[in-house]
Amino acid sequence: MANNPSRRTFIATGLAALPTAALATRTASAQASGAPVLKYRVLGKTGLKVTSVGFGCMITSDQSVVEKAADLGITYFDTARGYQNGNNEKMVGAALKAKRKDIVLSSKSKDGTMAQLEESLTQLGTDHLDIWYLHARSAAADITDEWLDVQRKAKQQGKIRFSGISTHGGQTAIIPAMIAHKNDIDVVLAAYNFTLDPSMDEVIKAAADAGLGVVAMKVMAGGFRRARPGDKSSEILKREGAMTAALRWVLKNPNVHTTIPSMTDMDQLDENIRCMDGTFSEKDKQTLAAQLDYIRPLYCRSCGSCSGVCPQGLPVSDMLRILSYADGYGDFRLARERFLELPTDVRSVRCNLCPTCSINCPNGVMVSNRLTRAQEMLA
Amino acid sequence: MRVIAWAFLLVALTVPAMAQLPDCAAVPGWKQDGEQRAYEPDNLFDYMNGNAEGYNLYRFVGMKGITCKCGEDTIVIDISEMADPEYAFGIFAANRDPRQPTEKLGTIGQISPRKAVFVKDKYYVELAASPEKDHREALRAFAGILEKNLQGSSSLPPELSWFPKAGLVPESARLVPESVLGLRMLERGYVAQYDVGKAFVVRESSPEKAAEVMAKWKERIGQTTATELGDEAFTATDRYLDGLFVFRKGPYIAGFANLKAGTDVKQRVGELTENLK
Repeated sequence: MANNPSRRTFIATGLAALPTAALATRTASAQASGAPVLKYRVLGKTGLKVTSVGFGCMITSDQSVVEKAADLGITYFDTARGYQNGNNEKMVGAALKAKRKDIVLSSKSKDGTMAQLEESLTQLGTDHLDIWYLHARSAAADITDEWLDVQRKAKQQGKIRFSGISTHGGQTAIIPAMIAHKNDIDVVLAAYNFTLDPSMDEVIKAAADAGLGVVAMKVMAGGFRRARPGDKSSEILKREGAMTAALRWVLKNPNVHTTIPSMTDMDQLDENIRCMDGTFSEKDKQTLAAQLDYIRPLYCRSCGSCSGVCPQGLPVSDMLRILSYADGYGDFRLARERFLELPTDVRSVRCNLCPTCSINCPNGVMVSNRLTRAQEMLA
Repeated sequence: MRVIAWAFLLVALTVPAMAQLPDCAAVPGWKQDGEQRAYEPDNLFDYMNGNAEGYNLYRFVGMKGITCKCGEDTIVIDISEMADPEYAFGIFAANRDPRQPTEKLGTIGQISPRKAVFVKDKYYVELAASPEKDHREALRAFAGILEKNLQGSSSLPPELSWFPKAGLVPESARLVPESVLGLRMLERGYVAQYDVGKAFVVRESSPEKAAEVMAKWKERIGQTTATELGDEAFTATDRYLDGLFVFRKGPYIAGFANLKAGTDVKQRVGELTENLK
């Protein structure tokens, strides 16, 4: 595992290794007045100039927050056909109506059909999308000739300006396939945050080098902004500004052209906008390292490395997840219930009877300790 | 023996009653396609990607799902368990199609050609049909079975009765699970759309806490005009929330937002005050 640096090392070296982003500043006078300073990047070959912090509208319930973001100068807004059963597109459309020509608007569709695009346009109250994504794909095979054909037609008809694909899982598989189709695909929307494997940096760089626009989502590492019951560390980190540290970590990568953190209120909006002008500090680094230290021995990232490795046949990743219901969320009942759903022979295994554990988690999870705890608590 | 009996009782009490999925074959011509699904807050993302955040916002506890097939027709059935009936109603209200009418299905529901959604007690149920055509008959059949299988109350949250009827956009009242009116200080509450603006009610843990939040809000706005209502009240104009009429009554902070200049909401605000007991 010599080539697999620890997360802490990754954060530290990442800071030093990445070149300074070539950023444009909105106005010098804004800085002088204490107002948030906006910074822009170019979204790859699309040539679209976007603020480095955009707005993921997915869970926003009040359109006043989206309106304020546009007023403050955020230029990139993202929604999807499926969010809130289509109601999210309607809200975003209403909020951005007066600013439509000044902003870059994207939406996504699961099946990528023209009918879905038409529905998105209707709900958003616009005649075109700046970027239309095929939503949540993870395999190279998802890039079909049929889909590419729909994208081409939509561009010809002026219903979209650029096409893209959003991906949460299997990113290292689908992004290279997108690069191979770079003449047809313009933008990649990918999960990217401080908890991911360093290999994602290379994938992102390859996409940017190929001219694709790179939009980062899940920049807060999958919502650790929202403290869950029983998760005290989350509350602590929330106070210590870990969310903005996570955003600044993403922004320091110049191969990321914009980001779409979810925002539900105006305070979050203000905090996130100010991240554009901030640098990833020593304090940020420590904050994120602390978070990783906290989650590393406990938190299974379901990378699949342990799959099929246990000679006793334990589904290690499933058991760690089940334990997290009790330990992480304080929901013993749920953990117990899920544990009882495992096959009898799995439930009867006792890790402390094995002289050594064959699982060596690449992410530092103390597997044997965790499984023993699960068996003591739940069996 | 007594110990075993107690152990069984303990397990029965600690394991929550889970939603029961229907037998696809209960509707003639349909059969199950694939395995049943089960998701938790931690892995819901694997099923619906980013949309999972929208469920977790409403205190998602778990989901069970099944896919039924009849020839080329498919219905995907998912039962989400939320923390309580209020949150289940909350996610229904956020996801329902506001252009379509609701109906009495469980607590409340909506059936369209390709989709049925309803809520009963703490369960939020979704049925999605494909391909493109009118599937209402099959959706209604499955929804009826599901509704019977689900235990618990079929009553709407009593909080909905807070909102005065005059000028209220029908069925617009909904739970906002965090940041009411986009303000983090208003942590959780209800909003309802009116012809003149948006009404809101936030219930704090105590009158003292409500007074504290009220003071913070006034400070944030800057210029407010005190007015007589409840324990304290003010009017103001906010750049994004337009005209505001806000009052506090005991632990409640409530009022109207998005009011155009010159709008008189005294009567409605008065009624709203009366309804908050």
